[in-house]
Amino acid sequence: MIETLEALLHGFSIALTWQNLLWAFLGVTLGTVVGILPGIGPALTVALLLPVTFKLDPIASFIMFAGIYYGGMYGGSTTSILLNTPGESASIITAIEGNQMARRGRGAAALATAAIGSFVAGTIATALLTFLAPPLARLGLAFGPADYFALMVLAFTTVTAVLGSSLLRGLTSLFFGIGLGLVGIDLQSGQARYTLGTLELLDGISVIIVAVGLFAVGETLYVASRYRRAPQDVEAIKGSIWMSREEWARSWRPWIRGALLGFPLGGLPAGGAEIPTFLSYGLEKRLSRKPEEFGKGAIEGVAGPEAANNAAAAGVLVPLLTLGIPTSATAAIMLAAFQQFGLQPGPLLFTRAPDLVWGLIASLYVGNFMLLVLNLPLVGIWVRLLTIPRPLLYAGILVFATLGVYSLGNSVVDLITLYAIGFVGFLMRRFGFPVAPAVIGMILGPLAEQQFRRALSISQGDYSVFFTRPLSLTLLIVAALALVVPVLLDVRAKRAQARREGAAQAG
Amino acid sequence: MELGASRRRVPWGDLLVALGVLALGGFFLQGALALRVLPSYARIGPRFFPILVGVALLVCGVALVAQALRGVRGVPEDAEDIDAGAQADWVPVAVIGATLALHALLVGRLGFVLSTTLLFMGVALGFDERRVWRTAPVGLALSLAVYLAFTKLLGLRLPAGVLPL
Repeated sequence: MIETLEALLHGFSIALTWQNLLWAFLGVTLGTVVGILPGIGPALTVALLLPVTFKLDPIASFIMFAGIYYGGMYGGSTTSILLNTPGESASIITAIEGNQMARRGRGAAALATAAIGSFVAGTIATALLTFLAPPLARLGLAFGPADYFALMVLAFTTVTAVLGSSLLRGLTSLFFGIGLGLVGIDLQSGQARYTLGTLELLDGISVIIVAVGLFAVGETLYVASRYRRAPQDVEAIKGSIWMSREEWARSWRPWIRGALLGFPLGGLPAGGAEIPTFLSYGLEKRLSRKPEEFGKGAIEGVAGPEAANNAAAAGVLVPLLTLGIPTSATAAIMLAAFQQFGLQPGPLLFTRAPDLVWGLIASLYVGNFMLLVLNLPLVGIWVRLLTIPRPLLYAGILVFATLGVYSLGNSVVDLITLYAIGFVGFLMRRFGFPVAPAVIGMILGPLAEQQFRRALSISQGDYSVFFTRPLSLTLLIVAALALVVPVLLDVRAKRAQARREGAAQAG
Repeated sequence: MELGASRRRVPWGDLLVALGVLALGGFFLQGALALRVLPSYARIGPRFFPILVGVALLVCGVALVAQALRGVRGVPEDAEDIDAGAQADWVPVAVIGATLALHALLVGRLGFVLSTTLLFMGVALGFDERRVWRTAPVGLALSLAVYLAFTKLLGLRLPAGVLPL
């Protein structure tokens, strides 16, 4: 406890230097912008910045990345309150109640409860992260290769089961990503795999190219194919951003409940921010004294889910930093960023790079505070971003995508790969394959293979090593359940529905 | 969740994508089996994961083909700026695709600034923005600003091409 506080203080001494404050500010500003703009999100932004930050100090880079990550969450809520089009799935709920509030002239209060709630929940969750991460990292030291492999399998299956509507399509996406990660020279045996006889592929396909292709190019092609030509109404911000006494009274409990709900669910390998926001919404609706207001602009329905959303974002950082397991697309890209700097997140990171870890954690507190200031009084400026004409916006996104990839090595082969993967990303969206499992599979796949082979070389080729260690066995069983249970529930629901329909026909 | 509207009609797009997954599985499996591995090393060698990926994609592909033949469609993703009721229109996809191909072709010859200006205009055209007098200056300004920022400030290399930059 005391050690943790000392470490955190040390972290603040790093995060509060003026250079790092500047990086944090740059990060949260960029994050807010990309959170508000459609078609571009934190995962894509961090991927695009990877080549630029290559020469930068890793601590400064990560402080900026963390700012982008948190900022994206704040910005997303602004969009969903003022536009009636849910963008990222974690904001769907905010879009329901928040947009209703905006239409009824209480847009400012909705923005305020979202921003203050994000700040409160973000701070609570960051504090939980601060005190939970060191013991978890120590626990992680006891993990052997077999346990790590099992943990990664768990991350694969839960991410696949949680994201998207179809397990089959999620699995396809996941294995496609793992396959992309196999391309290149196998480091243990020195054999070239899937390089098609070309020199360019010997080093493997760059994570940056895959992420930018799937996110930027794929999304742009997809939006173009079903582009909404009618201009969208941006709701004007009406009312005061200083919430009334009643609005405070109705907001603070949902904030805290949302934080306590979002953090653990974000931190589980079944991460992501969707489920906690849905749960928080349901909880607030049940606890509210005015449940009839829900669906018509209940402030609790914005406060709770937004808090849960942000707390989950902090929760996602727990397995990433302590175990090296990414549970969302953005976390996967951050893992790739660690690798770029020759760092491997996990238990050893806390002892090998304490400056980085604690500077990063301290900067989360700082970034949260900056975001509150940036988003409350200045929200009117950000809102103007929503009026950028879409053709110019998407054209600009592709300019930056091309730039980011071309600057890697001035290679036309890279560009063609980017565009080809972008087309795959378009097809995936068009035919309902979630993109995130592919990104996570590509980044986590090579690590999973490494642990798998390490475990087998320790056991001298005996596969039972994965089932005889209690930890690894437990994780694998949970992973299997994550795949099987949703299918069983689905079958049961369909049978029940068939029975009901049968009964209705008979009656 | 993924039951589409029409049960009987085979969705050709879904079927083609499913066949693509099958082909991909075949590619990975074939590549895995072509790897030569010392027998003593087989279990921990470089083949296990490729075989796993190949087989898994083949299984997924078979299941997807079966779904498509039963008339099950994938649910297209939701996004901002999307008209949920609209059918997919392939014309803009082709316009933007051609623009990207042209960009890959020209970037080495024309240089970054001019080729990227064309890229900007082409993508905007894909989004139905036909007013060239509007997209050309914006695209040029953006490309030039980005070029200067990256080469002069960040020290990255980008081709100058025909412009005397």
